[in-house]
Amino acid sequence: MATLKIYADRNSQPSRAVILFCKLNGIEFEEVKIELFKREHRSPEYAEITPMRQVPAIAHGEFKLFESHAILIYLACAFPTVAGHWYPTDLFKRAKIHSVLDWHHTNLRRGSVGYLLNAKLAPVFGLPLNPQAAAEGEKVLIASLSKIESFWLHEDGKFLLGNDQPSIADLSLLSEVMQLELLDENERSRILGPFKKVHRWIEDVKNATQPHFDDVHAVLFKTIATAKKQQVDTARS
Amino acid sequence: MTLKIYADRMSQPSRAVILFCRLNKIDFEEIRIDISKREHLSPEYQEINPMRKVPAIVDGRFKLFESHAILIYLATAFPGVADHWYPADVSKRSKIHSVLDWHHSNLRHGSMKYILHTVLAPALGVTPNPQVAVEAKKILDSSLSEIDTIWLKGSGKFLLGSYQPSIADLSLVCEIMQLEILDDEDRRRILAPYERVQKWIEATKNSTMPHFDDVHVILFKAKARLRTRQESRRIGSDVRTSYHSKM
Repeated sequence: MATLKIYADRNSQPSRAVILFCKLNGIEFEEVKIELFKREHRSPEYAEITPMRQVPAIAHGEFKLFESHAILIYLACAFPTVAGHWYPTDLFKRAKIHSVLDWHHTNLRRGSVGYLLNAKLAPVFGLPLNPQAAAEGEKVLIASLSKIESFWLHEDGKFLLGNDQPSIADLSLLSEVMQLELLDENERSRILGPFKKVHRWIEDVKNATQPHFDDVHAVLFKTIATAKKQQVDTARS
Repeated sequence: MTLKIYADRMSQPSRAVILFCRLNKIDFEEIRIDISKREHLSPEYQEINPMRKVPAIVDGRFKLFESHAILIYLATAFPGVADHWYPADVSKRSKIHSVLDWHHSNLRHGSMKYILHTVLAPALGVTPNPQVAVEAKKILDSSLSEIDTIWLKGSGKFLLGSYQPSIADLSLVCEIMQLEILDDEDRRRILAPYERVQKWIEATKNSTMPHFDDVHVILFKAKARLRTRQESRRIGSDVRTSYHSKM
């Protein structure tokens, strides 16, 4: 079978979802690190892989693909060892997964990225913080978490759409929620606090995907630790 | 039981779904949800789609929202849908997924925000924000550029270099058609740099007639009404100016 290359930065939520999916399904791949903080995604070499210059992207033999949801679906279909619950063949179940993945773009992802970038991360990319954009992002983020709590998670079934087993939608959305670990304890509590079902779902997805979950998120936790140390050093000096 | 489509033909994704059904002779009952009358916010509609957006479908007991998910469901659930709309080949299908995904945060995001904060704001009770319009225009421009240079690369007339349209063409062209609401000169200026995009819009229209025109009638009616209102405001302001200058 052709080699699968995954171009990824584990600091990126959709990169983590794709890597986690492969590890969980025993899909062999070569990980090519594209470090966003070092602007490696802007290199001419990477533009050959994906003209959109974002992560993740894959190359499977001659076939190249970007957009993490498209990648997850491709991998689920192209590799025969993938268990059915990740991307069910049943048309109705599959359609529901498409709907939450679509919803994600303009809701959880938009809110989370908008809030984190404009309230915290902008300086890392040489941009100014933008309190107004951060406030708008936060509104969308909280509304999205509320919709996960009240609609996407059901009373029965631990995973999104009331499923008993996780799907690619759980990997995508949880990777996004994990990015909130970049916030300090108080902020994170304030945003996630009210959502009991969301808290349970986070634990359920983690448990269902260990030890790979911790492994794939190690880079993010290292980034957070480094940032915290820098904050402490700056405060001291 | 017939398929029900809850739609507002002023909404780009609603049009894409209706157009797809017409082209593939899928029987449906269209239930109009008028956004300008806030019908999407009714408790009855919330039962259909708790996200309170259009379009949504009900097929028997199965409810679904998000237009891309709907298009994919219809392409696979209804017999007789030609393969080019949503190919069975996994690689081709994945490419279609990638452009549909890209669309959310690019063309749709830029186009919707720009139109809202320039022309549509008064009709929807929103305060237009020129700064948001400027940023949205940047996204719209770069999206059109990406369609021109990346998505339309290849020998075919359609997205992904295909020789026949797919659901991606329907979704994106219905979005671009919304630019008809803008001032004609503004729309012309926005599309002028992108020859491949203009050719692709024509190719998609031509391959989906007469249903394309039919589905867009309400948009053109709204455009005419908007022009009339703008014109009478301008005439009114001219009259007031000339009246004051005579005083």
